[in-house]
Amino acid sequence: MAAFIARRLMFMVVVLFGVSILMFSILMSFSPERRAAAFVRTPQQVKEIPNLVKKYGLDKPFYIQYVNWIKQISQGNFGYSTVAASPTLDAIKKYFPTTIELNLFSLPIIITLGIWLGTVAGIHRDTFIDHTTRIVAIIGWSLPTFLFALILLMIFYSQFQLFPPEIISNHIDDFISNNPDKFIQYTGMYVIDGLLNGNFEVVFDALKHLVLPVVTQVTVVIAILVRVMRSSMLEEISKDYIITAKAKGVDTHTINHKHAKKNALLPAITVAGWLVALSIEGSVAVEFIFNRAGLGLLLVKAATQLDIPVVLAISILLGLIYVVANLIIDVLYAVIDPRIRLN
Amino acid sequence: MKKLHFFLASAFLCLMLVVPAGAADKDTIVSAIISTIQSMDPAKAYDDSSANKLYNIYDTLVAFKKTKTDEFEPRIATEIPTVANGGISKDGMTYTFKIRKGVKFHNGADLTPQDVVYSFKRNMITDAEGGPMALLLEPLTGIGNTRKDGKIIPGIFEKIDNSIEAKGDTVVFHLPKPFPPILGILTYTAGAILDKDWAIANGCWDGNIANAAKFNGPDTGKEPLHHITNGTNAYQLKKWEAGKEMILERFDDHWGKNAAFKTVRIKIIPEWSTRKMMFLNGDVNDMEIDAQYFAEMEKTKGIKLYKYPQLGVVCAMFTQKIEMTANPYVGSGKLDGKGIPSNFFADKNVRLAFAYAIDYKAIIKEVANGLGSIPANPIVDGLPYQKDTFHPQFDLAKVEEYLKKAHGGKLWKTGFKLTLLHNTGREIRRVAATMMAENISSLNPKFNIDVQAMDWGEYLTAIQQHRLPGFVVAWGADYPDPHNFVYPYLHSEGFYSKYIGYNNPEADKLIKMGIETASIDERRKIYYKLQDIWAEDIPGVTIIQKLGAKALSGHINGFNPNPMYQGTYTFYYQLY
Repeated sequence: MAAFIARRLMFMVVVLFGVSILMFSILMSFSPERRAAAFVRTPQQVKEIPNLVKKYGLDKPFYIQYVNWIKQISQGNFGYSTVAASPTLDAIKKYFPTTIELNLFSLPIIITLGIWLGTVAGIHRDTFIDHTTRIVAIIGWSLPTFLFALILLMIFYSQFQLFPPEIISNHIDDFISNNPDKFIQYTGMYVIDGLLNGNFEVVFDALKHLVLPVVTQVTVVIAILVRVMRSSMLEEISKDYIITAKAKGVDTHTINHKHAKKNALLPAITVAGWLVALSIEGSVAVEFIFNRAGLGLLLVKAATQLDIPVVLAISILLGLIYVVANLIIDVLYAVIDPRIRLN
Repeated sequence: MKKLHFFLASAFLCLMLVVPAGAADKDTIVSAIISTIQSMDPAKAYDDSSANKLYNIYDTLVAFKKTKTDEFEPRIATEIPTVANGGISKDGMTYTFKIRKGVKFHNGADLTPQDVVYSFKRNMITDAEGGPMALLLEPLTGIGNTRKDGKIIPGIFEKIDNSIEAKGDTVVFHLPKPFPPILGILTYTAGAILDKDWAIANGCWDGNIANAAKFNGPDTGKEPLHHITNGTNAYQLKKWEAGKEMILERFDDHWGKNAAFKTVRIKIIPEWSTRKMMFLNGDVNDMEIDAQYFAEMEKTKGIKLYKYPQLGVVCAMFTQKIEMTANPYVGSGKLDGKGIPSNFFADKNVRLAFAYAIDYKAIIKEVANGLGSIPANPIVDGLPYQKDTFHPQFDLAKVEEYLKKAHGGKLWKTGFKLTLLHNTGREIRRVAATMMAENISSLNPKFNIDVQAMDWGEYLTAIQQHRLPGFVVAWGADYPDPHNFVYPYLHSEGFYSKYIGYNNPEADKLIKMGIETASIDERRKIYYKLQDIWAEDIPGVTIIQKLGAKALSGHINGFNPNPMYQGTYTFYYQLY
């Protein structure tokens, strides 16, 4: 197992190298002037463009720019972000906890609810439960995230004033800012920090702001898992060993949940692992609409304003998440299915 | 029992979550903006988001009087200098400002004339890349930059050092030549007054001119005052999470009337729907409105809406000497029906035809939702010395008439092919270019005009390379003086006029006279003539002067819409 993990970690370096080359190549397709223009906002400033190109070596060959960039990031310098008005690494450290917090709540729901719904739908094929689950899943998958988020916001915030956008209420934000000794920000995630500080007002306020984003995220992302789990269950239920178990008189609950479900989980786990990465990436629209200053919001702004340091750094971070998620899936495979040997 | 506990805990949690939010704090203004605040260093901040915050934290010597762009009120100066009160020398080259006493910085230090002198020198010496300091360097040193080709211009720091001095309770500016718009420039945050000791302690220029070069042109984000402030104005910076929010708090030792609202919370909310919902729910009290959303806001009751002209103009420009080398926008490069020659737009008939092909009224009504007007020339409404001059109106018969005359009548027979350009994401510019293309192409099957969008950076670079035959651009005021508009559009070295190859020696001469003349009557005559020259030469055509729009909560009063400031700007200390 240890050798396998070590091999995969080495492989991770290769993947990240590939991601960085790919992203760098895409960004290099923009002219030096266009990249320098990220610093220019008015015609009056246009005279700065040639200086910026020269200063940052934007007109140098691809490989020189890439090597320079690698040298810089190896020293922890990911460049300066104009959309965050701070060094890129600081911006990511500041924005990432918000995204993690959102996914910390949405992912367990997506995975447990998705597996459960898929299982129930598979077991009760072509019944009312199955049809309902499928329809809800299809609607969730088909709805554009931003539209669904806006609808929720219009109903539950605009109409009923229950669940506001953003991360935290103003008075809580003031309390945290004014009392750094009474409220320590251990993680940058308000629910967890609230619990660690024993301040339940902060916890409830943060949860209130999380309700709609989590509902949106779950509704949109869960559909894939439900469909995969349902198909997988249907396949398992029709296999010979299930028929044998039935012939032996094993009760239906045991057959479905102890035998079929365990085997049906394998493809679902593959998807679930992928969903972890997808969900983090998919926080973009949710964070944008609910104005949650997370990695997704940062990425939208960076991409639209060609803030190259941020685009590169977040791409690498997402690549890293994908690779780690896949590694975890591979390890989980071995745990769930003893037939699979990692070596 | 366990189930009961679980049920009660869940019920309590749900109850806590669904308790509606409390009423908005009436002592706080929440302002929603779209763009990131870039820097709090006055030598760097040149974007609207940053400048607006600096206006509320720092004081300048003078400021615009409420909604006026040609009247001033004293801030750190105690009176507006004039020739009559001796504040401006007769030759217009010396300005003396009496400095207010009893002014305290946010850190408790007293403001002195030495602080004022240091601030101007420090900001000009710093001259951060992409910053606003050219605005002060040009009138005070005669040179618009401290660097050329990345190297420091010899002697520039000595010129800066000699340009301003403290004399008793006054500060004196020495200009190398008269520069009448300087009072308008001094309202900008490039002239924010710093506390000298505090600035030096925080890594700014040390006060020794021999060391100036070490403090010049810091990298973006490395400017010493990027994240910290210490001004004298009504609000002080309490918290700034770059890219997220900024909190300003009332400064109770302000030299003037204290601000009515204790706290200003500025949030970046890029999505319009979210911003609007928060505004209507009372969670946001102040926001800029884009033209396309103004109509929907007009239907809302209990809010205050403002629309006011902005000192800016969108123009279509025609390059009279196009760079032809490997130029994809000129077809064959000849007047053979498959392209255009370098001097295609040098023929005034062609320029007039293109100008008559734009339906200006439709643009204002359909694209700008009525939030705009058609300016006769680049000296737009709100600037002094503005006058109405000839401006073409949409008329296809005129288009045909002028195209038949163009290039000695050859153009109508041979036809032509070219590309008009605009930068991406600007609807008015796209529509104007498309109108010219479609209307002209409809007259003769031999006329082929493509329209292409370019990214902003590439667009500006291509303009500088004289490669774009026709393009649509805009200019916003740095200061409210006609010079800031006639120079880029009519001077042979102006930003747009230079790159379209426009060169009228008489215009150059008048522009020079205009900026070096202090007499109002003389200037009026000069700028009237320049507007006539624009109408006669048609180097380009003005399309729209947009209106700025802003919404404030119903309970907030005191907003003064000023054409110099877009909807992004709010002087929070004026509100009550």
